[in-house]
Amino acid sequence: MDEFFQGAAAAASGLKAQAHRLRLVSENIANADTPGYRRKVTDFEAVLRGGQPTGEVAAGPVRLDPREQERIWDPASPLADETGTYLGSNVEMVIEIADAREAQRSYEANLRLFDQARQMARGLLELLRR
Amino acid sequence: MFERLELMRLAHGLAAHAAQRQALVAQNVANADTPGYRARDLAPFESVFRETPSVPLKVTRPGHVGGAPSVIAAEGRDAPDAEEPNGNTVSLEDQMLKAAEIRHQHDLALGVYGSALSILRSSIGRR
Repeated sequence: MDEFFQGAAAAASGLKAQAHRLRLVSENIANADTPGYRRKVTDFEAVLRGGQPTGEVAAGPVRLDPREQERIWDPASPLADETGTYLGSNVEMVIEIADAREAQRSYEANLRLFDQARQMARGLLELLRR
Repeated sequence: MFERLELMRLAHGLAAHAAQRQALVAQNVANADTPGYRARDLAPFESVFRETPSVPLKVTRPGHVGGAPSVIAAEGRDAPDAEEPNGNTVSLEDQMLKAAEIRHQHDLALGVYGSALSILRSSIGRR
């Protein structure tokens, strides 16, 4: 029975991490046109307890992508400097949408495994009931 | 009667093996995007379930029942899928396929156990 709870805990941590990742992606997309915006990225890391891996995952600290932002040419803009350009963001829509798809896929996989652990545990309990 | 008991022991071992694998696969899927994470699994049930008991009981007369086959608590071992550039060896598709196999293994074990149990019950006269 204990393994089912371990599996469910791992799946739940995966759900939380992927949801966090999806939130960062939607923040990036929302700020794709914000001048000077740097896209937020995060790495996942394995959760340790007492030095031992628990099998769970957690999203690491949020970092900013150090890549150069795009320079947008618009001399009429109040932000434009002497070259007629201003600093945009470094968000690329294609990358963000691909990331969102992958996060959703991982989220659904975690959800399915959580459900399977729950159903297997229930099957075991029903054996007792007979 | 004793074959029935051994069948139940086998089914119990199979269910325990499936439960352990389920936990490992859930951990693999949760860490599918963790850089450097290695996918883990158990050895197949046939190699985990030993035919001879860990401590063989002395059988001096025919009709003595020897020790029962035991299930070793298996250790998770490295079982990589395709390796990604960040060192992660989990493939979601392969893990989902494994999850389906595990579900089937667990259902099989519980089904066998349940029917052996009901046969045993009816043999002692209780419905």
